[in-house]
Amino acid sequence: MATQSTAPAPRILLTKSFIDSHDRAIATIALALRDAAMEVVLIDYEQPEDVVTVALQEDVDVIGISFMSGGQVETTEKIVAELVRRNVADLPVVVGGIIRPFDVAPLEAVGVREIFRGGAPLADVVATFGRLSRTYRGLA
Amino acid sequence: MSTSRTEPDAPALLAAVRSGETLAIARAITAIENRTTVGGELGLLVGDLNARCQTLGVTGPPGAGKSSLINALISELLPRHKRIGILTVDPSSPVSGGAVLGDRVRMAAHSANPDVFIRSLATRGYLGGVTRTTRAVIDLLAAGGMDLVIVETVGTGQSEVEVAGLTDVKIVVCAPGLGDEMQAIKAGVLEVADLIVVNKSDLPDADQTSNHLKAMLHHRGHEETRVALKVSTLNRDGLAALAKAIEARFAVSHSSAPHAAPTNDKLRLADDVADLVAAFVRESDDPGIAEIVGQLSDGSVARIDAAKATIRLFAELQRRET
Repeated sequence: MATQSTAPAPRILLTKSFIDSHDRAIATIALALRDAAMEVVLIDYEQPEDVVTVALQEDVDVIGISFMSGGQVETTEKIVAELVRRNVADLPVVVGGIIRPFDVAPLEAVGVREIFRGGAPLADVVATFGRLSRTYRGLA
Repeated sequence: MSTSRTEPDAPALLAAVRSGETLAIARAITAIENRTTVGGELGLLVGDLNARCQTLGVTGPPGAGKSSLINALISELLPRHKRIGILTVDPSSPVSGGAVLGDRVRMAAHSANPDVFIRSLATRGYLGGVTRTTRAVIDLLAAGGMDLVIVETVGTGQSEVEVAGLTDVKIVVCAPGLGDEMQAIKAGVLEVADLIVVNKSDLPDADQTSNHLKAMLHHRGHEETRVALKVSTLNRDGLAALAKAIEARFAVSHSSAPHAAPTNDKLRLADDVADLVAAFVRESDDPGIAEIVGQLSDGSVARIDAAKATIRLFAELQRRET
């Protein structure tokens, strides 16, 4: 019955800092998700907490945060804390980009569901977003 | 609310929307967009509330600067409004059905403001459907406490003009260099505009484009009350004048009630019924529907008989419910 699915399009928020001009990765991921029939909202955040406001207004199923320079752990912690504060602690968060070895443990500790570095196969990225979306929507 | 995404029923969700809860408004919009049963019922319930809000349509070709202009306009209009809702409509991919919704990248300045509710909608490819969905979402935002809703569309097709047509005041945004006077007098999106804006007035061709548009308006004689305004979002030139012109238009527009426009009750009923039956069929796990779908798959039933049997089943289940 998979070909006769009536499930609504997954909604994904992809974001990076507004001072980070490196958008190659986020654009690549956005196009891959679009081609996999997902609806992708893009924003550049000024404050990490803004990401949560946008996620709530857009009613997305997954948040993907892209990093090039710094703040991998601090920013992610702030976003997750805001998710908890606004009663959507179960909204899954994925990070990608330049993730240094010493970032991994604290990112996992804060509950990040997946980490994608440069070179991660697009098929894996797409499958992960799709799976997290279905679980969050209660479709899986 | 934290671990479960099970939808409340339409009346419960509507109550939360009316208390202004951001997440409730967002999930109600999702339900309407996904055309679920809850969404269909919400659309009908919220339409009957007749919540009032002013509506502003912003359309124009891709790259004219609509999103940036709205971002700047929010700052101008916010002091005069309680809460502003913005709907940005972007196209769904005709190939995959997916979409990249990037309009609010230009509106980051307002991300932290609880009085600005921005939602990105994809057209999702169904003809005419986006108009109906957008109507319901505007009503919903009004019920959620927005007293101004701005709808941004890409002004390239008839359905986009129709979406803009849902609004009390319509702005068409042009970029300098759009063409000559001949382009300006052709039929199309310029006809539906209340205000014509030449954005990017910091660019060299802006005066020429503005003059072409003014000439077009001039040809229409004394009954033409519309104006062409030059604006630069970059330099913040002309924004205050535009905001003033918008408010002046609102003052003379009589349709600030969502249903002030004449509607054909019979035609609307036809759409209402179709929405509810279609949502039922899409979501139903009723064995009767599974059986009919199975018969369709193996070709043992004609489509016309299948459709009529489905309507009878829907009616039967409704009767049992009440």
